[in-house]
Amino acid sequence: MLSNIKHYLSVYRKFVATSIAVNTSFRTSFVMLIIMDLFTFFTTIYSIDFIYNHIDTIGPWGRNELLFFACFMLMIDNLHMILFSESFWELSFSIKNGSLDFVILKPLNTIFSVFFRYFRPSSCVLTPLYIFYLIKYGNLVGLGTLDWVLLPFMIFSGLAVLVLIEFCFCSAMFWVTEGIGINFLRLQLQQLSRWPNFIYGPLARKFLTVAVPITLIGSAPVHFLLDKSRYGLFLAMPVAIIILIFILRIVWEKGLRNYDSASS
Amino acid sequence: MTNFLKWWQTVKISWVKHTAYRLNFFLQIIGPSLVFFFVKYNLWTSIFEQSATKVIQGYTLDQMLSYHAWAFIISLVAQGHGSWNLSEDIRLGRISSYLIYPFNFWEFHTASFISFQGIQILIAGVTLLFFSYISIISSFSFEVLLTGFTFTLLVSIFWFLTQYFTGLLAFWLEETWILRVMLQIVSVFLSGAIIPLELYPEWFVKILNFTPFPYLSYYPIQIMMGRDVSLVSGVVIICSWIVGLIFINKFIWRRGLRLYTAAGM
Repeated sequence: MLSNIKHYLSVYRKFVATSIAVNTSFRTSFVMLIIMDLFTFFTTIYSIDFIYNHIDTIGPWGRNELLFFACFMLMIDNLHMILFSESFWELSFSIKNGSLDFVILKPLNTIFSVFFRYFRPSSCVLTPLYIFYLIKYGNLVGLGTLDWVLLPFMIFSGLAVLVLIEFCFCSAMFWVTEGIGINFLRLQLQQLSRWPNFIYGPLARKFLTVAVPITLIGSAPVHFLLDKSRYGLFLAMPVAIIILIFILRIVWEKGLRNYDSASS
Repeated sequence: MTNFLKWWQTVKISWVKHTAYRLNFFLQIIGPSLVFFFVKYNLWTSIFEQSATKVIQGYTLDQMLSYHAWAFIISLVAQGHGSWNLSEDIRLGRISSYLIYPFNFWEFHTASFISFQGIQILIAGVTLLFFSYISIISSFSFEVLLTGFTFTLLVSIFWFLTQYFTGLLAFWLEETWILRVMLQIVSVFLSGAIIPLELYPEWFVKILNFTPFPYLSYYPIQIMMGRDVSLVSGVVIICSWIVGLIFINKFIWRRGLRLYTAAGM
């Protein structure tokens, strides 16, 4: 088991090293990606800020609570951009042109070799900014010591829920001819998760908690951090992660069997 | 006449290409606008339900929902086209064929844009009927609709030329999708597609008025909602940008061709 983990870590180190080498050789793209992330960050923050110039609360939350939530989601987004986002786009292309053959032939778990292959170093540049704003609004909403200890764990749990949902959806690419649409669907799910669950009506909220549990990504942990009596959704996170892993193994296996290798 | 036939055939082929993968088309083109509207609908309903005041910067809940319904329809017509293939054509050396064809590169992509607009207008029309049926959009006159629609078509030409411009930069850049996404993020934020410009700080709106962004969403929405806006200045500004972009794109195309290495030939 331990040697297996060591083996996968050594492979992942190579994945990261090659991704850094590729990304830094196109310097203009590297800089533009940083600017793009900056735009995303500030437009999100200022959209919320402008709304709160005219109202006091949205649902139970004031300006600082919602901005803390937004920073929490942006932090998850930043990690997602660094670790996974490139691999999703690559998957749709490699299924279409058959280059996935070379990936699945490797003596590695295919989920690992498909979704952990690409690393985006440009997004790391802005990570300190995301952390700074998360700490700033965390202080403003009065997080306690235990909350700060729990925060990194919650961010990674939220990220786990997000990517597991996305992995499941991306398995559908094996059944369609053009997989880019699935990637757009994935982006829309992210879009829905970027707002707290209370903005949605009862039916939509139930759907987005049970059927496609994207409200567990940010709403569950942030509600718990701000109000310890709201632990229900937070406790549902590990359950959702286990169920999603189970579903992923089934759909991924079926998807791979359905893959007909365009180039062979 | 021969030229018209070439245009017509290209429009027809593009139509077939756009609609070949219907699920993909729905998820890629309609899905984002639909989800964007869904989020805004829920967000503003939630805000107004909690708010003590029933009017926020001149908007009641009904007017706010109507604003975002129009934003949805306008985004379908005005900001749908992405010119995704354009930069790929350049990067992968596919424009070599266009240099030999008796049908130019810009003609091919403009014909593709026209067919795409045809589909989008159809979808926008159905959406408009649906929104009217469920009363999110209240009554509108034919005259207002025609004016708003004409202005939106002008905006769509501007948007196409902007996308064309970013695509042409593939002569110099490895990845142009980043520029397209950046443009999308900035324009959504600055055009009033997320929140009406009345909610932005006044100094900020004054600066924005010197840019084309408010004309992408906010102005067409105001026209469609029958509000008082300076139509002449809007048309003049958008047309000036269109003319400017035509010249810039021509210039970039000529400069870019000098760098073109016809990869894969």
